[in-house]
Amino acid sequence: MRGLRLAALLGSVAMGVTACGNSTTSATTNGDPIVFGAAVSLTGALSKEGGLTKQGYDLWLDWINQKGGIVVNNVKHPVQIKYEDDQSNPNLSATLAQKLITDEKAQFILGPYGSAASATDAVVAEKNGIPMVEANGAAQSIFSHGYKYTFGVLSPAFKYLTGVLDMAATLSPKPTTIAILSANDSFSVEVAAAIAEVAPTKGMKVVFNKKYPAAAPDVSGLISQAKAANPDIVMNSGHLAEAIAINKAAKQLSLDAKIFAYSVGPSTPDFIKALGADADYVYDGSQWTPQVKYVPSFYLSVADYTKAYEQKYASSDPPDYHVAESTAACLAFQKAIENAGSVDPAKVRDALAKLDVMTFFGQIKFDDRGINIYKPMVVEQIQKGVHYTVYPPDVANGKPQYPAPPWSSR
Amino acid sequence: MIARLRRMPVTWRRTTMVVVGIALLLVVLAPLTSTDAAQQAGLPLLTDKLWFRIATTVAMFVTLASAWNIIGGLTGYASFGNVAFFGLGAYGTGVLVSNLHWSFLIALLAAPLIAAIFALVVGIPLLRLRGHYFAVATLGVGVAVGEVINNVGPLGASTGLFLPIMRSDRLFFYLMIGAAGVAVLSTRLILKSRFGYGLLAIRENEEAAAVIGVNTTFYKVSAFVIAAALTGLAGGIFAQWNSFINQENVFPVTYNVEMILMAVLGGAGTLLGPVAGAIVLELIIQALAGGGSASVYSQIGLGVLLAVCVIFIPRGVIDFFGGQSRLSLSYLRRTLRETSA
Amino acid sequence: MSQFTQQVILGLLLGGVYVAVALGFSLVWGILNIVNLAHGAFVIIGAYVTWALFAHLHIDPFISLPVDAVVLFIVGYALQRGVINRVIRAPVLFTFLLTFGLNLIIVSVLLVIFTGDFRSVTPSYSGSGLQLGSVTIPYIRVAGLAVALVLAGILWLILNRTRTGAAILAVGADRDAAQLVGVDLRHAYALTFAIGAAFAGVAGGIISTFQSITPTAGDPYTLQAFAVVILGGLGRVSATVAGGLLFGLIEVLGQSAPGLGSGYANAIAFAVLVIVLVVRPQGLLGRLA
Repeated sequence: MRGLRLAALLGSVAMGVTACGNSTTSATTNGDPIVFGAAVSLTGALSKEGGLTKQGYDLWLDWINQKGGIVVNNVKHPVQIKYEDDQSNPNLSATLAQKLITDEKAQFILGPYGSAASATDAVVAEKNGIPMVEANGAAQSIFSHGYKYTFGVLSPAFKYLTGVLDMAATLSPKPTTIAILSANDSFSVEVAAAIAEVAPTKGMKVVFNKKYPAAAPDVSGLISQAKAANPDIVMNSGHLAEAIAINKAAKQLSLDAKIFAYSVGPSTPDFIKALGADADYVYDGSQWTPQVKYVPSFYLSVADYTKAYEQKYASSDPPDYHVAESTAACLAFQKAIENAGSVDPAKVRDALAKLDVMTFFGQIKFDDRGINIYKPMVVEQIQKGVHYTVYPPDVANGKPQYPAPPWSSR
Repeated sequence: MIARLRRMPVTWRRTTMVVVGIALLLVVLAPLTSTDAAQQAGLPLLTDKLWFRIATTVAMFVTLASAWNIIGGLTGYASFGNVAFFGLGAYGTGVLVSNLHWSFLIALLAAPLIAAIFALVVGIPLLRLRGHYFAVATLGVGVAVGEVINNVGPLGASTGLFLPIMRSDRLFFYLMIGAAGVAVLSTRLILKSRFGYGLLAIRENEEAAAVIGVNTTFYKVSAFVIAAALTGLAGGIFAQWNSFINQENVFPVTYNVEMILMAVLGGAGTLLGPVAGAIVLELIIQALAGGGSASVYSQIGLGVLLAVCVIFIPRGVIDFFGGQSRLSLSYLRRTLRETSA
Repeated sequence: MSQFTQQVILGLLLGGVYVAVALGFSLVWGILNIVNLAHGAFVIIGAYVTWALFAHLHIDPFISLPVDAVVLFIVGYALQRGVINRVIRAPVLFTFLLTFGLNLIIVSVLLVIFTGDFRSVTPSYSGSGLQLGSVTIPYIRVAGLAVALVLAGILWLILNRTRTGAAILAVGADRDAAQLVGVDLRHAYALTFAIGAAFAGVAGGIISTFQSITPTAGDPYTLQAFAVVILGGLGRVSATVAGGLLFGLIEVLGQSAPGLGSGYANAIAFAVLVIVLVVRPQGLLGRLA
């Protein structure tokens, strides 16, 4: 009898605890929607990259709404993302950012693709006092003007190819000479400057360093000049189209370097599809790969993220880093809004400034300029048509295949 | 246009005047309702930041199209490189504000000046060319100037220039409206002057103009310089308004095409044609700009609209609605007959 | 020295591409007085045709060139007959605006069909080259140049040795007189435009072998075609060939110009263009109109 009562008591306590638990974890879902705005390039020259950006945002959107929304003070707010197409035109991007804020009542801005559009949108965000987290404008120049409302979740341009230099220093025989070809735009020039700055500290020498006009269709002239300098390492800071063109020209002109490393391009499936076996041995500095081993404090694990992507977009290729960094921008907002316990733009802005979380994408934390300098980048290599993470060793799932064999014996 | 207004029936003329007057008054006064005092007094809020941005953009294109009209429409020299003046104006103001820390309004004076000086230097050799050749030469100058600036360190090279943010949307709105006003007023003064008749004479027959005593080189270069100064002024305002300028922003080849499109669709060589063209086309572009993932279809729509306009209204919107010809099937049939093979 | 030789060869090979692109543009401009802003879009349609045949049916890009020509011939004929003919007598700027609109439509439709993905045609032999001492000559680019020169020859033959060509030239010289002697103007216009488009399509096929293809990849080529035609001079096949080769040379040598950064390559190319125009407006080999 007594035992029975005790059991009943325990039972009711247990029920109370679970009930309590319910009330804290599953908040009521009757909050007003939180509206995000994003002006991305869906048409024009950057439509490919703009599309990847949108995929990243949408992946998070599905997930957060499945959970009922962002929890602010125990109330769940469903989320909407309003999209506008900037037609790859930065001047239009600024107007659209304003349209999102004014007409579509976007409370927060997710960044566009590209450094130029990010810079113009940052000005609009600043003028309106609306926080913007951008995931696709790595040029540091945006962040050195005291803007308070702009944050970038991605590692800055400086880090793109310096990781490859770190890795190269560990290889034997150690490569010592570098040729740099860079597109003449703000992001690519910063990447190239970082290589030139770091190389001497690794005991390497830049023997060729030239710029080409952005989106140059033919780079074979520069490649033949680079060949004359006989470099161990060929680096390109530019974009997908030029990375493909440079690799093709290097083969045609038999520029046999030990390492080919390109800032943007090799991480996308298009690069391998375009080049086939010639894509092998190519390195890139990547913001993220499906092999990284971060243990996130919320949202999906790296493996689940990859799975969710492949499912939603019926893709046989894993998401590339443009998708992942875009999702990360959403995660930064989510955490900051939860931490702020408010959707007030100024409070969320302060919460972003103080943010420090671990996600599937890596650590998200901003310095006083708003740059996430805390997250490392990884080095990927394409081996037999598959991406392997080869550096740093603690996240690697493959070893660098070094040196790349001469073109004639491939 | 003015001449045509005179030829129009009095009622037509009056109606046009009244409509234009009311529109202008609205445009100028509307922003005032957004001031704090007006809002406290309970006036209806007619404006918001988006309205300002779009209206400022429209005013900018009115300036660009009207300026192009002076050299392209009145003088008959279709410049495809006016964007060079826009960019030079923007960089002129940009460097003074960003590197030398001048106050914006003083630095703005440099914008038309730099553009005008450049136009004077390149105008003398370029304006010896005619037709397509002049078009391509100016196009080349536009591209080359942008490419050079993209490589010059003190001008920010490919990083671009960042100007301190100025928050007053009203200021930029009124400045752009002012620039547009100056552009239209200049066109009107030119049209009514001896100088204007000289330009029209050059357009119709340059040799004949020279024979009747028009100093063609002086006239052409002056028109080019005036167009450049107006375009540069718009560029200078844009630089501070946008607070960030680089090659992509202020030397877009598409601006060349857009300003011509506006002037020609509205009616090249007329006073208000470029104004109407700029307002209509820029509003259409802005309206089609959004639209998320369906936007590619609105681009197709814009292309079709353009083609239809060109095929059916080849003399420009102003001519179409200007009273001489009416929207009628016979009008469409006649223009088709006159222009098709 | 061998470095210089290498640069000159690469410049000429790039020039071959410009020749192919500019031939059709020059024909349409010279005969019809149409500056076709959709020319680059035609080039890219050709590139997509080659890509589609290569990716799905494994047809060699050089074998599919005639297919590019036929597809674009049909597109060109239809566009001129159905649309552009309607404004052919309007002021020049109107055809210009019309082709701007057409370009917008074509690029958008390509985006709908092919998405913005980067497409690339990479046949197995695409990487090999002829090694002459320290100078390397990529085979596939030589083939591109050869095709361009063959195209130029074909155009010359069409214009100078066929009745069609005679009709086209007559239309270019004096449309009213041509009509009087029995030329069907509408058909002649459409034929001219179609031939121009077909040449653009072949150029696109060549371009797909060394550059990745996106719907907007053609825009720069319109600009290049403009420059080549001006440089060489309007109205002669040989002038376009010379202009194209020269423009390619200037671009490649501009990258290694002493004293200036390679970033100035475009600036140099267009500055040369402007200077040529001012000094010799009819182009290097052109006849004065």
